[in-house]
Amino acid sequence: MIDTIDAASIVLQQESVQKLFLNNKGAAAIAVGLAAIGTGYAQRGIGSAAVGAVAEDSDNLVPGLIFTALPETLIIIALVTIFVVP
Amino acid sequence: MTPTSTTRDTGGSSNPEFVNARVRSRRAALFDDEDYRKLVRMGPGGIARFMEESEYETEINALASRHDGVDLIEYALNRNLAKHFDDLLRWSEGELHEQIVRYLRFYDAWNVKTAIRGVYSGSSPEEIRDDLIQAGELDETVLDRIVEADSIEAIVEALEGTLFEEPLVAAYDQFENEEVLIPLENAVDRAFYSELLAEVDDTRQQEGPLALYQEFLVAEIDFLNARNALRVARSGADIDPDDYVIEGGDLFSADELRTIGGDPDQLVEILRDSEYGDELSGALDQLREADSLIEFEHALDAALQEYTDHLSNVYPVSITAVMSYVLAKRLEVENIRAIARGKEVGLDQQQIEEELVIQ
Repeated sequence: MIDTIDAASIVLQQESVQKLFLNNKGAAAIAVGLAAIGTGYAQRGIGSAAVGAVAEDSDNLVPGLIFTALPETLIIIALVTIFVVP
Repeated sequence: MTPTSTTRDTGGSSNPEFVNARVRSRRAALFDDEDYRKLVRMGPGGIARFMEESEYETEINALASRHDGVDLIEYALNRNLAKHFDDLLRWSEGELHEQIVRYLRFYDAWNVKTAIRGVYSGSSPEEIRDDLIQAGELDETVLDRIVEADSIEAIVEALEGTLFEEPLVAAYDQFENEEVLIPLENAVDRAFYSELLAEVDDTRQQEGPLALYQEFLVAEIDFLNARNALRVARSGADIDPDDYVIEGGDLFSADELRTIGGDPDQLVEILRDSEYGDELSGALDQLREADSLIEFEHALDAALQEYTDHLSNVYPVSITAVMSYVLAKRLEVENIRAIARGKEVGLDQQQIEEELVIQ
């Protein structure tokens, strides 16, 4: 009697775990989110340096912008995950 | 020019990226060899005009109505230096700010020493005021009080509550007995360096930027001690090393210097065997051959500058880039002053060039 209840609850648990757990698209979304955090962190340092350089000499605006935008590649490439995942 | 309050809340993280970007840009704008070559060929008027077209424009214009000639150049240099170092304090945050504040207390020590010398030699408050460099932590009210003090005792009183108070009070008796300024000046220097090293010693680290910053401070103290020891040895004066050696260096202790007993050759040997031997070997040879202390001192300056430049490349996001800028700016100001003063007393070009510390 007790055994059957245990077996049944295990099955129930497994079903609910499978329902709660991420599907593939969800996991890819997390990957993209993490990449976005990485991009933000990289841009924090580069951005403040770029603002400093531009404050000294406005000729630095264009190189500053380019360097600040460079970490964007991280998130753009991470975005590919969404399409690769079935 | 309003002095920046340095007692702000320094909680939060530091911003070395921003500060370094600005500092490196300013570092690049300093005068280079080419500019110095031009300056050496000019008279004081020409130098002032040259400066007016450079980044010293504001200061020259502000002071030109009250001063002229070499004085104008000198005061403009001081003001510009103060402005730039004030900017450093304004931009920086967190731990970086703390470190810069501590290092720029150098100018507090400088101002206190200037005021003491001024009062001792009976200069007027205006004259002393003009010679101060407002880049340190002491604010305008304290500076006003030490400038207007009519005795050295009053200066010591005005500095109540600062880090200079205790050592100055301790040294005051000696000053009263012997009527010489050396104990007071050394008390000020020691207060500055011991404060600087105390903070660093608390967090003695094995590697990373802070460890190298410590190394730099130790090197600076060693060089200062070496310079003082050589000067004393050269002048033949019999001064107890206890009176001038600054604690914290690796190279000399007061006891060691006492046993050497002011023999310049032995001092040079110690320097050659030390960890700085490689960098200084050229300068040490020159010292032996040319018998010129000035060139050796310039070599020390250049070696220190090179060392900080190296550090700032190894650890870009730390205080080392700021350090390298502070040293470079200080050297530039000293160079221009040397050119202007040299021209004033009629030195020829080559003699002035020997006075310059150019990388």
